[in-house]
Parts: sequence; structure tokens; C-alpha cells
Amino acid sequence: MPLLELREVHVERGGVLVLRGVSISVEKGEAVALIGRNGAGKTTTMRAIMGLNKPKSGSISLEGRDITRLPPYKVAALGVGYVPEDRRIIPDLTAEENLEIAYGSPPPDDMLDYIYSIFPELKKVRKSRGLYLSGGEQRMLSIARALVKNPKLLLLDEPLEGLAPKAALSVSKALKEIASQGISMLISESGIIRRVEGIAERAYGLDRGEIVYEGTLRGILEDKHARERIWGL
Amino acid sequence: MIPIELLIAQTINGLVYASILFLVSSGLTMIYGIMNILNLAHGSLYMLGAYFAITIIMKLAGGSPWGYLAAFILAPTAVMAVGAAIEVGLLKPIYGKPEEYQLLLTFGLILIFDEVVKLIWGPAYINFPNPGRFLGSIEVAGFEFPVYRLLLIALGFSVAWLLWFLLSKTTLGKKMRAAAADREIVSALGVSVPLLFTGAFMLGSFLSGLGGVAAGPLYTASPGMGIDIIVNSFAVIVIGGMGSILGALVGSLIVGLTRAYAIVIYPAIELALVYLIMVIVLLVRPVGLFGKPEEVRR
Ligand SMILES: Nc1ncnc2c1ncn2[C@@H]1O[C@H](COP(=O)(O)OP(=O)(O)O)[C@@H](O)[C@H]1O
Ligand SMILES: [Mg+2]
Repeated sequence: MPLLELREVHVERGGVLVLRGVSISVEKGEAVALIGRNGAGKTTTMRAIMGLNKPKSGSISLEGRDITRLPPYKVAALGVGYVPEDRRIIPDLTAEENLEIAYGSPPPDDMLDYIYSIFPELKKVRKSRGLYLSGGEQRMLSIARALVKNPKLLLLDEPLEGLAPKAALSVSKALKEIASQGISMLISESGIIRRVEGIAERAYGLDRGEIVYEGTLRGILEDKHARERIWGL
Repeated sequence: MIPIELLIAQTINGLVYASILFLVSSGLTMIYGIMNILNLAHGSLYMLGAYFAITIIMKLAGGSPWGYLAAFILAPTAVMAVGAAIEVGLLKPIYGKPEEYQLLLTFGLILIFDEVVKLIWGPAYINFPNPGRFLGSIEVAGFEFPVYRLLLIALGFSVAWLLWFLLSKTTLGKKMRAAAADREIVSALGVSVPLLFTGAFMLGSFLSGLGGVAAGPLYTASPGMGIDIIVNSFAVIVIGGMGSILGALVGSLIVGLTRAYAIVIYPAIELALVYLIMVIVLLVRPVGLFGKPEEVRR
């Protein structure tokens, strides 16, 4: 049984069908990439899994349990951590308070030690308000916030997009480490395959709400049909 | 020249009124800040608090001092239950609908609660004895200070401190602030936002009911008292800034003291002065003294 399975998921946004029968799966311990250009439906796919957008039809299951119509907080409680593309750090709360609301109480020291071992950069800004964190720090905090509840599955929406090279390197290294700990991931990327190499082995190609490729990450570049649909070449 | 005795008395009265205003407006502004709900019937909960207190003190306790103590605990708790029923039964179904729905609904509730109060307790003003007679007054530097009023002032400031503690020191309070900024992500982080909303609404209702219990013996109870307090509370939160607890405290002090002093200087301008302050604040700082510029809500 896959950890996560989407079957024929259709989602409408603003009256337009933006996911048209998406079927993907993620096995336990596996990191899977979701590749597609802007507007393909990557974010909507993740939001549908999280319960933030209700599918019109189709089903989503986690460890065999149907989660299609669950509210977001229940999906999260079942072990799904969400890292939205726009980070969504609470600006008024400090870095550690952002972790606290996800953890449910002030995180114990061993949890904080674990977080700071993955993101040493966050330790320096632990008492700073979210508002004052740099883009890279916000991204790291957003990932850390999804990690504190020991999730089975992380949904990472373009985690390497829009970062300064140094921050991108740190985040990339952290994601490899998280993947090596056996936490499953669905990680989206809008174009630069190289960025998710070494993190994900398997990939889906998404275009205009349809899955147009399924196979190894490398293979997507050799698949003529997928290449045409995703990059137009 | 105003005699010093009068000045002191009016300062006490102003602070008492500010305390009561704060009990009502802090809940109003908190519910608005966290849930984006403007509960027009928030003053009706205050009124219910006063009427519940009348029944507890006069009918159940026969006017004994214990009745007052019981009323201060039981009446706000009963109002909190009414608040829970309103939020779960009436407001939840209309979240996500246009704002007119909640305004119409909560305005409708004002009319319903006024009629219910007239049916149960009658349309006449009810004067119930001031518990001050059990508490007496203390003398400081030759001036008399009524103990009941001092206790009410202490109550207002204690509640202000407790709310500050809740919102800035506890995880629950931080979740509430986070939900005010971005309820969608808070939900995706595993926080039950529906439960959080019900909790915030119940807390606000409790405080409004508490305000009613405190005010009842001072100002008499009448079916119109809910409207009177809600109008003043709106002035408070507009001056202090919508959604800000500190703003509600400062706004309450401004409105409470202004009214108390204006009454002795020139009673006719009492209310006009409050609105004048409101207009000036709006012109100089449209978001209120402690309000934050409107952020994108999700
Ligand atoms: N809030 C919204 N309302 C209506 N349409 C939306 C909304 N958000 C995204 N869309 C549309 O849904 C489609 C998929 O968007 P999205 O899932 O964000 O794609 P991606 O993340 O791959 O860039 C796009 O055509 C986009 O215009
Ligand atoms: Mg996207």
C-alpha cells in the first residue's frame, strides 16, 4: 500500500478545472518530484492533499485511509507536513513561536536541537520575529515548522525557488538529510531538474492539470512527449 | 473651579466605566481580530449578564452578599454558553459568506435578545441594590473611596493583564494570533481553527457577560443597555484600533474618563466629545491608535 495515493483527482479553482484526473503515489520512505511549469497545477495538487482545496471528484488516501474530504488540521494530524511555496511565516511571532504553534506547546530541547542540527542558520534567529527573517531563513523555518510533528510525509512546494545561491545550497543539503532519515516527500519544481537531483529519484510530469510523465527523474529529459508538453522543446 | 472631591469621585467613576467598557470591548475587538467577525450583538451578551445576575442575586440568593459572588461566576458562565450556541449554531454556517450576512444576523440577534429580556424580566428598568453596601468604603488622605468601585477597577486591569498573558505567553494565545494573521496556514499546521474560533467567541462572551454583572448594580438594567454599551464599545475599538487588546484598554480609558469629566463640566457634550475624539483619531490615524494597517487575510 502506498503512503500517499491520488486517484483521478479533479479540482476546480475559480470555476476552471485546473486538475484533470491527477493520479500519483508516494511510497513509504520515497522522495518524489512533481515537475511542471508555472500554472501546471503543482500547488493545487498539494493544496488538494492538504484539504485546502476540495476535489470535485477522485480520491486521496494516506496509508490506505481516505482523506479526500478531511479538513487541513486533520490531514496534518495524520502526519502530513506542508511547506507552501510562499512560506507563510507568521510575521508577528518569533521563529521559535512559529515552531511552537505547530508543535502545540513550546518544543522541547531535543526537538529544537534536531531542528537546529538540520538548519544551523535558524539558531541565530530563534528569537527574531518572522517579519525580520530573510527569505532563506523563512524557507528554512517553514520546513522546520512542518518537521516538528515528526511527519510521515512532507509536501514541499518549490522549496528551492527564489533563494539566494547560498540559502539554496543550505536548503538543498537539509532536504537530502531529511530524505535520508526516511521521511517521505513530494517535492515540486517548476523547471530546473538539477535542483531536485539527489533528493528525488522518481518524478511525475504535470502539464495543464494532467500527468504527462511518470518514471525516473533523469528519464523526464529523455521522454520526447513529456519534454514537449512541459518545456515545449 | 471644580472641587477636588468631585474630581476624585469622577476619576473613580470614569475608571469604573472604563473597566466595564474594557470588559465588553476587549472581547469585541478580539473576536474581530481573530475571526474577522463584527458581532453587533456583543452588547446583548452584556445585557444578558446583567439580567442573569439579577435573577441569581435577587431570586436565588435573596439579596445576600453570597449572591453577588455567585453572580460574578455563574452569570458570565451562562452568557458564555449562550455565546457558544450563537457561534456554533448560527455563525459557523455563514463563515465564508459575504460580510452582510454576519451583520444582518448579529443585528437580528440584538432585536431577539431585547424581546426575550422584555418577556422574561419585563420592559421596566430594574434597579438592584449596589453590593457596595456590604463592602463600604476606605478612607485615604481624607477622601472616601467606595470599595466596590475600586474592586471593579482592579477587575478591569486584571482582565487586561490576563488577556495580555494569554495572547503573548501561552501557546493557545499564539495560535489565536497566528489564526488572525493566516488561518489557512494555521489549519494546515494541525490547529483546529473551528475549535479555536469557538473558544475565542466563548471567551469574548464571558467577558461581555462579566461586564454586565459588574455594571448592572451600578447603572440599573434595562432592555436597551446592550445597544448603549455596544455603541460606546465601537467608539473604543475605533479609537484604540480594531483587533488590538491594548487599543481596547487605552480606548476604554479615554472614553470612560472623557465621559466622566465631561458630565461635570458640561453634560450636554458628553457623548459628542467621545465622537469628536473618534473622528480626530480617524483623521490622524485611520487604523486607530494601536491598530495595524490592513493585511491580506487568508
Ligand atoms: N486562487 C485561484 N483562483 C483561481 N484560479 C487559480 C487560483 N490559483 C491558481 N489558479 C489557477 O490554477 C492553475 C494551477 O495553478 P497552480 O496550482 O498554482 O500551478 P503551479 O503551482 O504549478 O504554478 C493555474 O491556471 C492558475 O491560474
Ligand atoms: Mg505553484
